[in-house]
Amino acid sequence: MIFEVAVGERLRMVGIVRKGSLLHVDLDGRTHIVDARRISDSVVSMLVQPDGGSAPSRSIDAAFAHSIRSAHSGQATANGGDFDVHLEGRTIPVQIRPAGSFGRQKKEGAGPQGTGPQRVTAPMPGKVVRVLVKPGDAVTARQGLVVVEAMKMENELRAARDGRVREIAVAEGQSVDAGSILLIVE
Amino acid sequence: MKKILIANRGEIAVRVIRACRDMGIATAAVYSECDRSALHVRLADEAWPVGPSPPRESYLRIDAIVDAAKRAGADAVHPGYGFLAENEDFAAACRDAGLIFIGPSPEAITLMGSKTAARQAAIKAGVPVVPGTDEPLSDQATDDEVRTVAERIGYPLMLKAVAGGGGKGMRMVASAAELPGALRAARSEAQSAFGDGAVYLERRIMSPRHIEVQLLGDQHGTVLPFVERECSIQRRHQKVVEESPSLAVSPELRRRMTAAAAAVATAVGYTNAGTIEFLLDENGSFYFLEMNTRLQVEHPITEMVTGVDLVQWQIRIARGERLDLDPEALLNPKQHAIECRIYAEDPDNGFLPSPGRIQGLRVPQGPGVRDDSGAYEGGEVPIFYDPMISKLITWGDTRDHAMQRMRRALAEYQVRGIRTTIPFFRWILEDEDFKAGRFDTGFIDRKLGRGPLQPVDSAHEDLAAIAAAVHMFTRPVTNGVAATAASRWRDAGQTEALR
Repeated sequence: MIFEVAVGERLRMVGIVRKGSLLHVDLDGRTHIVDARRISDSVVSMLVQPDGGSAPSRSIDAAFAHSIRSAHSGQATANGGDFDVHLEGRTIPVQIRPAGSFGRQKKEGAGPQGTGPQRVTAPMPGKVVRVLVKPGDAVTARQGLVVVEAMKMENELRAARDGRVREIAVAEGQSVDAGSILLIVE
Repeated sequence: MKKILIANRGEIAVRVIRACRDMGIATAAVYSECDRSALHVRLADEAWPVGPSPPRESYLRIDAIVDAAKRAGADAVHPGYGFLAENEDFAAACRDAGLIFIGPSPEAITLMGSKTAARQAAIKAGVPVVPGTDEPLSDQATDDEVRTVAERIGYPLMLKAVAGGGGKGMRMVASAAELPGALRAARSEAQSAFGDGAVYLERRIMSPRHIEVQLLGDQHGTVLPFVERECSIQRRHQKVVEESPSLAVSPELRRRMTAAAAAVATAVGYTNAGTIEFLLDENGSFYFLEMNTRLQVEHPITEMVTGVDLVQWQIRIARGERLDLDPEALLNPKQHAIECRIYAEDPDNGFLPSPGRIQGLRVPQGPGVRDDSGAYEGGEVPIFYDPMISKLITWGDTRDHAMQRMRRALAEYQVRGIRTTIPFFRWILEDEDFKAGRFDTGFIDRKLGRGPLQPVDSAHEDLAAIAAAVHMFTRPVTNGVAATAASRWRDAGQTEALR
């Protein structure tokens, strides 16, 4: 089976086949031999054969959580999903799909790097404390746009790139849900 | 004392429940609507609802909490930290209701709760304070009048809320031009955070360390100071890493600082647990900053280096016992301890709060590790409260030993489903300046200003890709849909029925 895995800045192709009790995992043209044991629905113990090693022996304890950042969280299917992978003390966001899926997705809609209007949304439920810009204002990347209070902390949401404020959808003092559009920058 | 009501939630409520259990005292928890399933409710002997989820409607409701204590038949109330812990009206309401308040007197809370009154108490006790205004700035003071006062103190200076704490209502002012804007912002923030917009001015001590001294005072006039805590590692004026003892404090300086702290507490007739905070400048001069009239978040590091259970002593003091600890032992730690405050915040995304359900949890264990937590697997981190979910404490014979254990413990610690500051602490523990003890209160802001935390290296990205593919490939599948635990129970039931 072949997967496309988006991790960090790169898309990786990962092929995987079972050979006896072991898995052969092909990543970017190199084969990793893995002895995998499922500990629970969300934890896998892997012994991975290191470069030049004679047997799968490097122990990697990997645990998975549904991604909280992704708009597709909760849409995990048998062959794909958005996860946080926890291993060796690191938390690594991963999107995995059957081979070819990402290409199809790209054609359907602009990705986060697109040039269309930027919708600034509330990352969590909270209250709008301050709106720092007016419609029509020119803004630069990383400029503060709106301040939302949640969990006793004020959080400033910033522009992802240069642009102009097209619309402000909220007022100061207003309560907002996670995902609510606060303003639009184009 | 047979039963104590704990007027708090989260890890500190759990901590107090444990101290009560250790002493054979029954516990009554209180909870808001969203905290019905919280760990402190599950662990307590009994639990009483006090209102809806927003703190103002529950954990800050003096009437509801006193009423719960009376209905529970509690003898005493432990306030924890935060919420009503430094509220003199709450302490007085407990006293009026015939309940023992496990903390200082309402009078001591009032006195030390006013930063300007506390400064004067310190001056009277002969303890140096940061040069600044002795009275709050008048609400009516014009920008020009404030500028004149500021000129006398000298720039750069700090604007601080009289009722302040936790960095709220606090502004650094570098020059006269910044003063009017900073004044407005500080007043408005102080008003909304504390219901009191009064602010005052202090000179800004350059490159200070934040050093504090834990105290216990009994009801018989004995005040004992403990070895200092180093709390300079702060983000947005909130402590995030603490350790004890401090590399910057020699035995001779420790004598002077702890004696000064005890002098302030003695001068105001302080009882129960409290902490005097100092700024320590580069020349080794120290200045009284404020007194916290409650248990501190970071109290466990003092417990680990001195072997004293501070919460149990709070209870013993409240029931009239005498402090019979060896004062010398409290100042000569045999161990070094470090604490990291684990927050439900995303360090890769501007430390945005990250509430939600904890899908998986692996807590570090083994020698030299303590996890004071309010979290559990399957539990929710609500949006209504402080995002700190646990405190990880490690200790060892030396600072290096304690740091190495912290690295080990952080690697074991896994909180899945929400983002936490664990990766941020791994980064701090690898920082050369931190390792060498070269830091002041500006450490984190300076380091974060240089760009994002260490990105994940490509070798670990490879492993994550392999792991994700293995996860997909080996996931139990029923009818093309990944099986959940529930559906497999159902499948097992159906198989059983067909037999």
